[in-house]
Amino acid sequence: MSDVQRYLLRVDEDKDSAQRIAEETAQSLVSKTKSLIDVVQSLGEYINDEDASIRSKAVNYLSQVISALPNTTLSRQQVQVLCQFLCDRIEDGGAIGGLRKLQSLGRFNMEMAIMTFRALIEHFQDLMIRPHAQRLQILELLNDLMLNHRGSLKSLGDGAIVGITDLVSGEKDPRSLMIIFSILQVIMVEWDIAAKAETLFDSAFCYFPITFRPPPDDPYRITAQDLKARLRSCISASSHFAPFAFPQLLEKLDSTSPNVKKDVLQTLTACTTSYNAAAVSNWSITLWDSLKYEILNVQEEDLAEDSLVTLQAIAITLGRDLTSTNQTTHLARFLKPITNECKEELQAPQHKKAKPAGQILSSLASSSSVALLLVVKAIVPPLLTIYQDVDNIASQKALLEVLVQIFNAAVLRDEAPGMVRSSAEAEHPLAPFKDRLFEVFSQALMSSPHEEVTFRVMALKGLLRLCQVRNYLQNSEIGMVVQYLDEIVLTEDPSGREDVKDEAIQALVEISKSKHQVIMDITFPAFMANLPDPPTKDQTDYVVTLEGLARLSVEKSISDTLIRRLLSKLETVLQDDGQASYTQALLSTIDYVLSRRDLPSDTNLSSYHEKIVVTYVCKAALASVGSGPQALVEAATLEILGRLIARIVCALDEHKRRSVAIETFTLFTQEGSPFIPVLYRQDIPEKQRRTMILSMWILASVGQAADALYTVADDIDFDSLLNELTRLALVETAPTIRHYILEQIALLVNRSSTSKGLSDALRAMYNPFEAAQIDATPSIDATPIVFWIAKALLLRLSHTQEVLDHVLGRLSDNSCGPTSARGFGLLLATDEIISKQYGAKLRLLTKQKVFSICAPRIAADFRAAEASVKPNYLIALSGILKDVPTEVTMTEIATLLPLLLQSLDLPDQEVKAATIESLTVISQESPGAVEGHMSSLVNRLLQAASKPRENIARVRFNALRCLQIFPGRVKGSVLLPYGAGVIKGILPVLDDAKRHVRRMAVECRATWTNMDEPDQDA
Amino acid sequence: MSEILNANPTIRSAADLPSRRREPTKKTKTQRPFGLLSSTIPDSAYTPDPFNPSSSPESEGSDNDEEVEPIDEQEIYDLIAPIQDPEHPLTLGSLSVVNLPDITLSSTLPPTSLSNPSRPAITTVTVLVTPTITHCSLATVIGLGVRVRLEQALPPRFRVDVRIKEGTHSTAEQVNRQLGDKERVAAALENGTLMGVLRKMLEGC
Repeated sequence: MSDVQRYLLRVDEDKDSAQRIAEETAQSLVSKTKSLIDVVQSLGEYINDEDASIRSKAVNYLSQVISALPNTTLSRQQVQVLCQFLCDRIEDGGAIGGLRKLQSLGRFNMEMAIMTFRALIEHFQDLMIRPHAQRLQILELLNDLMLNHRGSLKSLGDGAIVGITDLVSGEKDPRSLMIIFSILQVIMVEWDIAAKAETLFDSAFCYFPITFRPPPDDPYRITAQDLKARLRSCISASSHFAPFAFPQLLEKLDSTSPNVKKDVLQTLTACTTSYNAAAVSNWSITLWDSLKYEILNVQEEDLAEDSLVTLQAIAITLGRDLTSTNQTTHLARFLKPITNECKEELQAPQHKKAKPAGQILSSLASSSSVALLLVVKAIVPPLLTIYQDVDNIASQKALLEVLVQIFNAAVLRDEAPGMVRSSAEAEHPLAPFKDRLFEVFSQALMSSPHEEVTFRVMALKGLLRLCQVRNYLQNSEIGMVVQYLDEIVLTEDPSGREDVKDEAIQALVEISKSKHQVIMDITFPAFMANLPDPPTKDQTDYVVTLEGLARLSVEKSISDTLIRRLLSKLETVLQDDGQASYTQALLSTIDYVLSRRDLPSDTNLSSYHEKIVVTYVCKAALASVGSGPQALVEAATLEILGRLIARIVCALDEHKRRSVAIETFTLFTQEGSPFIPVLYRQDIPEKQRRTMILSMWILASVGQAADALYTVADDIDFDSLLNELTRLALVETAPTIRHYILEQIALLVNRSSTSKGLSDALRAMYNPFEAAQIDATPSIDATPIVFWIAKALLLRLSHTQEVLDHVLGRLSDNSCGPTSARGFGLLLATDEIISKQYGAKLRLLTKQKVFSICAPRIAADFRAAEASVKPNYLIALSGILKDVPTEVTMTEIATLLPLLLQSLDLPDQEVKAATIESLTVISQESPGAVEGHMSSLVNRLLQAASKPRENIARVRFNALRCLQIFPGRVKGSVLLPYGAGVIKGILPVLDDAKRHVRRMAVECRATWTNMDEPDQDA
Repeated sequence: MSEILNANPTIRSAADLPSRRREPTKKTKTQRPFGLLSSTIPDSAYTPDPFNPSSSPESEGSDNDEEVEPIDEQEIYDLIAPIQDPEHPLTLGSLSVVNLPDITLSSTLPPTSLSNPSRPAITTVTVLVTPTITHCSLATVIGLGVRVRLEQALPPRFRVDVRIKEGTHSTAEQVNRQLGDKERVAAALENGTLMGVLRKMLEGC
């Protein structure tokens, strides 16, 4: 049996083995055991068979043999013969694959390409009715020919164009269309198509608009967007298409589908951008007439935006390389009717169409310098006239807004890349109106009533823009603007809406970017002079001034000066023993300014270390024993100072940090000074104990260098320090100081580098009183220490099981249970100090691990617990849940839901509010989980929302929000029975005492009401 | 939609509409005394201390919790201003169809009477609607929308009265009669097409 016979027998059942037979034949051709003539002759009877499918399979066999041959096996002669043969047989199918292989060979020449192409064209009617897969192959062959033999096809001229357009018509398959569009685009861009432009255009445009929607799991990954983009580049490929494209596209703009309209607008933009000015100019007015409807009568916001883009694209094309401002250019003739119409609309500046008219002018003006000039000339004088005539501020504001939009365009023109102002010496288009504009905007800002906030903000924006237009305002005029802004920031009554002040500071910051000298010379001294020295009793407006200074100091030179001046100010204030809050504000300002600098590489770093860290820590220590300004020993001041020094110390190098570390408790005081460290002393006055706040910040900021502390004296090692801090925390009565001592303990434990340290910590957690070597008394609660140490250990996942066993065990205790329950809220909470920034050891999986141990334990212990301690478990659970990511909690939902529902019956408002928040998140993420509990959930939430005496506003609000998210998430059939009850139940809440609760009740009721009225569009 | 009746109405920008002055909340005031300057302090610094209940924000807000915020004209305005106009993608507030001075609240019956001391005060809310043009045929629909919105959103002790502002509409009397007639309002709400329009208007609220 010959190969071809075997092939024909196999091909229907097993394509792969048939393929292998063809490959074998190819092998024997290569090894010359068979000749090509043998192979072709063996086909003999089959290729003349009456049955078309047998003929086709036989040719297919030959194609597969050819495809399997190495590129150089066939001689030029053989290629020629085979090509001829396959072209003759092209209508039999199966020949395409062979031809594709042949055309890729080096020995395939121009005549053969033309022959193949002709064969395709002649049989296009047969080929078009083939199934998808074969048509795709044909198109791929055509595409290959275009790629490898483009010159040959091009030489056929218009005939080829007609042939190809015939071949590509009536296609539906997205893969084929992608190929068709790219073939067409090549022809459109590279060939001379003048004579056949319309035919060619129609062959592409007949596919517009693309309405293809890919099937759900599309194997080819072709999106509608891909098709649209390729078709768009065909339609916009040649200016020859203008007479066909514009009218037909505009016709499609009348479509009612927003998607089609959007596609049309984007295609128009592509066309106007790529066609030449002459082609666009013929249609520019027609286009404007259609586009203006979309823009002026905005129905869909984004269609109006796209239309503006198209309009701008026209102006850009018409203004390309244009320098003449003559009224006869394409651009001028295009702009004239537009500016006239916009002028008309702006006569009534408060009306709906005025705003889009302004947008049109602005987008046109920003298209080119010439356009800017023409728009300004046509529109600014009438605007100024209208401005004078209108009598209400709302209209004036609308007019200013249009002017501001035009200024925006002018600024944009300045920033445009490669923008050299045409004829450099020519004056700025806005120049003739400078004085008038400056006057109008200045008056609007400075002489209008202060309540007209939006009007003044608009004026302010206008002045800022005028300052930003390059080479426009004189420095003295900019100085004037800056003075206005200073005045607004410094002297205007801050009560009421602060928008103007905010905008003014923002504007000063903007100006400082380009004109920082003006800010240095005018604003900076004015602001500094406005800082009180010292402030009167309840004066607080210095905060605004300081804020202004802080925001202005973006430039390094400004911020250097500012820090210097602030430090000397601080010095004077402290000498006069001034107000604590002023001191705090000054320190905060320094901290803010430093926070915006890259401290580690700052050349002033060591001077900050000296002048701020060493000096002020020492001052505060001395003040705590009475010899210094008392403002420094206020707890709030120490906290701010602490953050400030921590910021600086963090930036220091290891060596310097060690030198700071050893001063953790001595606080840079000299030996023999009146200040004695707090450690190991009894009955110290509170003011001195407050220095522990600074000690904490030092300890935190030195990071691992803290170990240097143990080298100072023999009696300080990790264990003794931990015990002593534990003692201090136990006896401490001031909550703030205790908090900072606890933070120190947690820092020490968490950063401990030895396993002995960890077991010491564990021991201290089990029995704090023993560690502190004081007697346990009922008046002292050790719970905080237990939980802080627990937190420190858990965050690094050391001794996790023991720690959790211990803290969970405390919940069943009648005396320390309630505080312990609240302590669970601490365990996983993000902490400012125990963080990466201060060298804490944090493990990524902490939350998951802790939750996965706690959740089942809490659920089990809860069931077993006595009634009196049950609430403890619910409170603890709520404390854990608030910090665990939802994905993690979802795993235990089934166990936890009953507990959460019971939590809603607790009187504790914090827990209740937090539980409802958890339930809200759960219902949002996995509505299926709550379905089974709907009845009790809905009832409890309604109770929580509608009983204002028992529930605080936050609980009521949260309950309503939770109820509101059910419709649409939880299955309608589950909710339906409760619909009427909820709508009725919320009714009294509409009269709640709190406004935001009422608001939520309205929304919640509306969602439930709409639930049973199915959407009519759906 | 058929022909647009008033294609170029006057509009007010959202920022200029009357709104409740935003009072700085107590919490941010006490927590960040220096505004921007305190912005360097991370949020985690404000986590309440579970062992020191007096530091938690709740207790601080509890006296605040007692304070009653009565329903006032501004609140009524906030309920109806975001209703969409049936022919423009704009709100009734920005078209000045509803205006704050045209909303009045008057208590019809004192909160307590001898027979039933716990009976709540009956309050009548009157809203005067200003159509954008005097022959606007949609005035009834707009009035109905305002009415439906208020009836859904206000507690039952409120009586809603929606009318066309005097001198702003050519057939104001007819429209008012229609809006005041309970039967006709109820009948209108049975009408599917009309309800569809109303639902669209109330969508953005």
